[in-house]
Amino acid sequence: MDHHSSKGFVQSKTFLAMIYSGAIIILLLSIVMGVSLGQVDIPFSESFRILVHKMFGGGEIENGSSVNIIWSIRFPRVLMALLVGAALALCGAIMQATVQNPLADPYILGISSGATLGATFAVLIGFGAGTIFSQFGLAFGAFAGALLASVFVLTFSSIGGKMTSVKLVLMGMVINALFSAFSNFIIYIANNAEGIRTITFWSMGSLASARWSEIPLLTIIVLIGIIYFLIQSRNLNTMLLGDEAAVTLGINLSTYRRIYMTITAILTGITVASVGMVGFVGLIIPHLIRSIVGSDHRKLLPAAILFGSIFLIWADIFARIILPSVELPIGVVTAMIGAPMFMYMLIKKGYGFGGN
Amino acid sequence: MNLQVENISIEIGKKQIVDDISLRVNSEQFVGILGPNGCGKSTLLKSIYKVLSPNKGYVKLGEMDVLKEKSKKIAKHIGVVGQFNEISFDFTVEQMVMMGRTPHKKLLDSEAKKDHEMVEQALKTVNLLAYKNRSFLTLSGGEKQRVILARVLAQEPKFLILDEPTNHLDVKYQIEIIKMVKQINIGTLAALHDLTLAGSYCDYLYLLKNGSVVTYGKPEEVLTKENIEFVFDVKCEIYQNPVTGHIGIAYL
Repeated sequence: MDHHSSKGFVQSKTFLAMIYSGAIIILLLSIVMGVSLGQVDIPFSESFRILVHKMFGGGEIENGSSVNIIWSIRFPRVLMALLVGAALALCGAIMQATVQNPLADPYILGISSGATLGATFAVLIGFGAGTIFSQFGLAFGAFAGALLASVFVLTFSSIGGKMTSVKLVLMGMVINALFSAFSNFIIYIANNAEGIRTITFWSMGSLASARWSEIPLLTIIVLIGIIYFLIQSRNLNTMLLGDEAAVTLGINLSTYRRIYMTITAILTGITVASVGMVGFVGLIIPHLIRSIVGSDHRKLLPAAILFGSIFLIWADIFARIILPSVELPIGVVTAMIGAPMFMYMLIKKGYGFGGN
Repeated sequence: MNLQVENISIEIGKKQIVDDISLRVNSEQFVGILGPNGCGKSTLLKSIYKVLSPNKGYVKLGEMDVLKEKSKKIAKHIGVVGQFNEISFDFTVEQMVMMGRTPHKKLLDSEAKKDHEMVEQALKTVNLLAYKNRSFLTLSGGEKQRVILARVLAQEPKFLILDEPTNHLDVKYQIEIIKMVKQINIGTLAALHDLTLAGSYCDYLYLLKNGSVVTYGKPEEVLTKENIEFVFDVKCEIYQNPVTGHIGIAYL
């Protein structure tokens, strides 16, 4: 083997520019495909015309059911996929850096079980009629549960000394087990078949409920998260070297780790509240992109965000069209596509977490 | 720059790991800390490079109060080559060395021409310029440690701390690393475990046992058979190596 020719992730600026511009073009195409494909197929040219007309006002369109399907139902759904995919890929990359563990994903701080407990509580027990919380229901329960779990993990892992990544991962697992037990307890004693169905479907994730009304707030929050972490790229790189090395380079990890995890928990919690649990995106997309552009977060984060969006838009398309007249939960689709992809990367490509 | 460590005591849990240690390193001096595993040498160094905070004592680098100053400012002055440890994520050698520029950069600064020059220079010093684009994780232990040394050099330190940098390395790499550090010729404090190596390359030695300094002085004053038996619990004879003229130790 020639040791001086490096394969994998050493690229010129032109290669990176190609990756980014390629990703943006694919993303735009995916958006058009995403609004065209579904139980009712609408030709791409028509979808494109409707989108352009609605956004920029140009061109002529006949008002019909396709306009309604595309603009009121599918387009917010595609935008939701775009935002959630971006947020999950971003949060996955950040979590992997903050706990210095390639196995980390956005749900590692007990967020998945916290959200499930919150959702279960909201559906099967409820916050009590008439209280301010009752009208938000499941989404609010999920978000509150997710945050509660991550607060527990962050607090307990910093008691009695420094918060280390091992402590965080273990505490995440413990909180996961505890919260799952409580959810199962509620499910077991509630004996409410309809409610249990709701929880089960919710926990597999779905974009079907995406509405225009949720999009603006989500866009703002995801954008803020993206900008914040892009600014932090240099610190994130140093984090990958380990706690001691980071301190000798002048970066006090314990402070940054806490801030990064809090922001990631909020971002992930919001995605869980909007679409339920969507596994695998936050785990594989950062790894996949790392195998192409390397571990430098200045290159990794933008590419991971773009491809996270593309991946989730396509996962949602498959969820809609793969079976006639039935819609699959998106979490099922992401795992079905994601797991083999990840296996292929590990086995065939000899993937080495950023290099080869 | 010269380093002054005064009355440092460190407790971890309820255990006294470092007990009232004071030492000095003058600028351009290469000072070694010797002692058996668990004697507190690493812990002492960690408190100097701010990974641990000591319970008592103070550390001064030139006029700077190391323990009170922000890590970022200290990182501009002290470079640390730590014990060889694995990382889970990969970087290119160049990216790895470029991280040495971190303390000199603000979050949004991009790498300037000067930074690239510093990185090239550092890689040249450790003879790894040809490895610039290699992936760090594919390197051998000795090469990895040289990359870390290059990263520390890119940091433009005025003082070096070596925390058993040659642990697990073959003899060739041990000598290579120490020689490279000697060439840099700035004040250096190093925890070492090879007595002969320490005897040949250090200007001054501190011998530690159970968290306290047993003795200190020039290598020939410290490395006597009585001291070695007392601290390391092995019998030996000291002789002058006929080839190098340095101290030789024959373990019995």
